[in-house]
Amino acid sequence: MPFFKTPFNGYSVKFSPFYENRLAVATSQNFGILGNGRVHVLDLNPSGPITEICSFETADGVYDCTWSEDNDNLLVAAIADGSVKLYDLALPPTANPIRSLHEHTREVHSVDWNPVRRDSFLTSSWDDTVKLWTVDRPASVRTFKEHAYCVYSSIWNPRHADIFCSASGDCTVRVWDVREPVSTMILPAHEFEVLSCDWNKYDDCLIVTASVDKSIKVWDVRNFRVPISVLNGHSYAVRKVKFSPHRQSLIASCSYDMTVCLWDYQVEDALVGRYDQHTEFTVGVDMSVLVEGLLASTGWDEMVYVWQHGTDPRAP
Amino acid sequence: MSLLCDCNGIETATRRYLTGFDGLSWKPWVYISLLNSLMAYEVGNSPPPKPWERAGGTSSGPPPFKPPSPGSTSDVVEASGTARPGEIVSTADRNATVNRTALARPVPTRPWEPNYGNSSYGGGYGSGLNYGTGYGSSMYGSLGGGLGGTYGGGGMYGNNMYRGGYGGGMYGGSGMYGGGMYGGGLGGPMGGYGGMGMGGPYGDQDPNNPYGGAPPQPPGFWISFLRVMQGVVTFFGRISILIDQNTQAFHMFMSALLQLFDRSGVLYGELARFVLRVLGVRTKPRKVHPPGPDGIPGPYNNGNGGGQHYIEGPKAAPSGSWDNVWGNDGTRGM
Repeated sequence: MPFFKTPFNGYSVKFSPFYENRLAVATSQNFGILGNGRVHVLDLNPSGPITEICSFETADGVYDCTWSEDNDNLLVAAIADGSVKLYDLALPPTANPIRSLHEHTREVHSVDWNPVRRDSFLTSSWDDTVKLWTVDRPASVRTFKEHAYCVYSSIWNPRHADIFCSASGDCTVRVWDVREPVSTMILPAHEFEVLSCDWNKYDDCLIVTASVDKSIKVWDVRNFRVPISVLNGHSYAVRKVKFSPHRQSLIASCSYDMTVCLWDYQVEDALVGRYDQHTEFTVGVDMSVLVEGLLASTGWDEMVYVWQHGTDPRAP
Repeated sequence: MSLLCDCNGIETATRRYLTGFDGLSWKPWVYISLLNSLMAYEVGNSPPPKPWERAGGTSSGPPPFKPPSPGSTSDVVEASGTARPGEIVSTADRNATVNRTALARPVPTRPWEPNYGNSSYGGGYGSGLNYGTGYGSSMYGSLGGGLGGTYGGGGMYGNNMYRGGYGGGMYGGSGMYGGGMYGGGLGGPMGGYGGMGMGGPYGDQDPNNPYGGAPPQPPGFWISFLRVMQGVVTFFGRISILIDQNTQAFHMFMSALLQLFDRSGVLYGELARFVLRVLGVRTKPRKVHPPGPDGIPGPYNNGNGGGQHYIEGPKAAPSGSWDNVWGNDGTRGM
């Protein structure tokens, strides 16, 4: 599979849940510290280069993006100026963004669309809060404020429409029920900041967390005193972690050590794949829901790679 | 649902029409009652089923969650009584949050809030969940902690707080929410100034009146200055968060840098020695000196020791250690 070069530094990559050859990439100028941002929508061609369908400019860096589960043209971007913007690919660029939501007071670091009920999404921000938005409201429905430091990621449970978990710099992961006033569980998951979390797609009680302490841990929410598994192998902070949509025990992660790793937490030698195609921090990774084994990654080297597990991402 | 999925094109067209996606005005809440009446059918196109949905039930026992509620997310949240639409969390609110337990380490100070946690300004700025209070939910509450003195007290915020929070952006700018929930929504043109402390001049205006009063003026010196300051704070805040996210990498980077400096000192020493030797200047070798022939006062034999061998290290005390650095006894030149 070929690669795609973005003008800015990559921050996040997401496969479309509707089309197996489409993906969105969030990028930020100057490593996201200062400058503009851009969201790219890319098309994969079976033979040939990756082509860009369209792109949207923002006035500040874009840290994350997500596809709507309800509308194949709807894309949400988490912007570093604290806003959340919705884009409709069916509309001309001048009509976009179709909505810009300003409630977070600091950088928005992640956004995730509810895959079960498909009418809402979550944003997590450096203002320590997570916000719940629905497409039928002009303002957020609810704000979850318990974390004592930046919230880096909040992810819906893939089987339960009301449950999500959030990972924060206060070293905890919290499990929330949108109907409850406070969090239902607090996992003191790591000794250092937790940068990412995700739910297992086949066992809705399992959470995987990634931290600055270089480790990845798998937890069972029914008994979260000790982790089920601890995966060591990254040599720097682990930036993003994801459970496979296709295999129960497969985990993908990317790290500041510039690699993308694949893990099987149930086997002895957990590290089942290691890809070092990036030459800078790797901060975005995703696994296709529609094509088993298809991976995408992006990083600060301004590259987007899409490849099949087991093949060389750099191979033409 | 399956019926609709079978005729996906019609369904998509229906949804487009209903939600107004085909036009430039996307106002789904206008159609919400219509949508609700159609809620029996699933309005919206669905992605292909997920692999885990095809796989069936969960594998390991019952989860510790309440069973999911039927209905849309906003309905579910409102039914639970936890909904708080459009809440903006200020610094003071964050300080007051509950259930802050199980922290494995003290939370570091946020870079953009120099006095976070013990700010004497915090209480003053963040009094509000409701938009009516003067300084409530200030976007600039975060700056207030550190730069409160510069503002000269809260008075400059005036009472047009709406604009500070909302003006420049969502509600005013896009016009989508105009005349809506917050009343202050149309204050767009002046929003930026209002928030940044120009409350005095505009303070007594009706926040619902978008065009009344003075036209927006170019920002004055203090406004520009404070904006620049905010930019600087944001800049360093992001760098700091980045370092935070990557503690190990930063540590390694710094130690590598220090090692490099350390090594470069050695390197330059060696280079200098080499150059001097090339130029014909005899310098002191680093290892044990070979004994000089007796009677010839070489540079390493300062006469009083004959064939005394210097090992690197402290020089002979009687003549003063630093005087011997260049190989000659300092007293000889006197």
